[in-house]
Amino acid sequence: METMDTIDPETKRILTAKENRRHKLASLPYPEKVRAVVQLQRMAVPLLRNRNKRARIWQINGLEVSSKER
Amino acid sequence: MEKTLQVLNDLERNGALGRYAIGGAMGATFYIEPVLTFDLDVYVALPQKGDLISLTPLYEALKGRGYTIEEGECVNIEGVPVQFLPAYNQLLEEALSEAQEIVYENTPTRVLRAEHLMAICLQTGREKDRDRIRLFREEAKIDAGYLDGVLQRFGLEEKWRQWTQ
Repeated sequence: METMDTIDPETKRILTAKENRRHKLASLPYPEKVRAVVQLQRMAVPLLRNRNKRARIWQINGLEVSSKER
Repeated sequence: MEKTLQVLNDLERNGALGRYAIGGAMGATFYIEPVLTFDLDVYVALPQKGDLISLTPLYEALKGRGYTIEEGECVNIEGVPVQFLPAYNQLLEEALSEAQEIVYENTPTRVLRAEHLMAICLQTGREKDRDRIRLFREEAKIDAGYLDGVLQRFGLEEKWRQWTQ
């Protein structure tokens, strides 16, 4: 398996940026993270429905969804 | 989610549930990057009759407020499906009693400590719990001494070693 020491600099740069972004996300205020979770739900629901799995996007203040999405 | 938490606070004030705290994926999300979930896991201390713990009085109180129990025993409270989980063992009891007080927008609430959430992941032991432990280790500020104490008290040290080596 490749380690961070053996991969090329460009890939290493991308992976480091990705890791930094995750740390940045982890340090967001909680309400912003909740909004991000709802965004994740919006992304995931159509995929889950294609697999006949039931899932619903939260309807919380400022993040109301249309009836089509429900 | 603030309205949901206000309802929970009201239920706690009225005695329909005892102390409560957010756990599960939304508890973890307080400490790590946002993780996908579709329900809000809420650990609760329930008023007890003898040895029996029952969610029925809580569900009745919620029904009285117009909230209905849905699939999987989730209750949709102000747009958020809430899964109530009784603190059914000593680890969860401790986690609940030591949960940290936070303010969500303008509403006070509680979230389980990161160290307890990690211990619960170890105890539950699914593959996604293992992944969550990894995220906690990479992203959360953990009190190592406190975590050691929790792992020791609940016999989780060996599993911790297995999962983190």
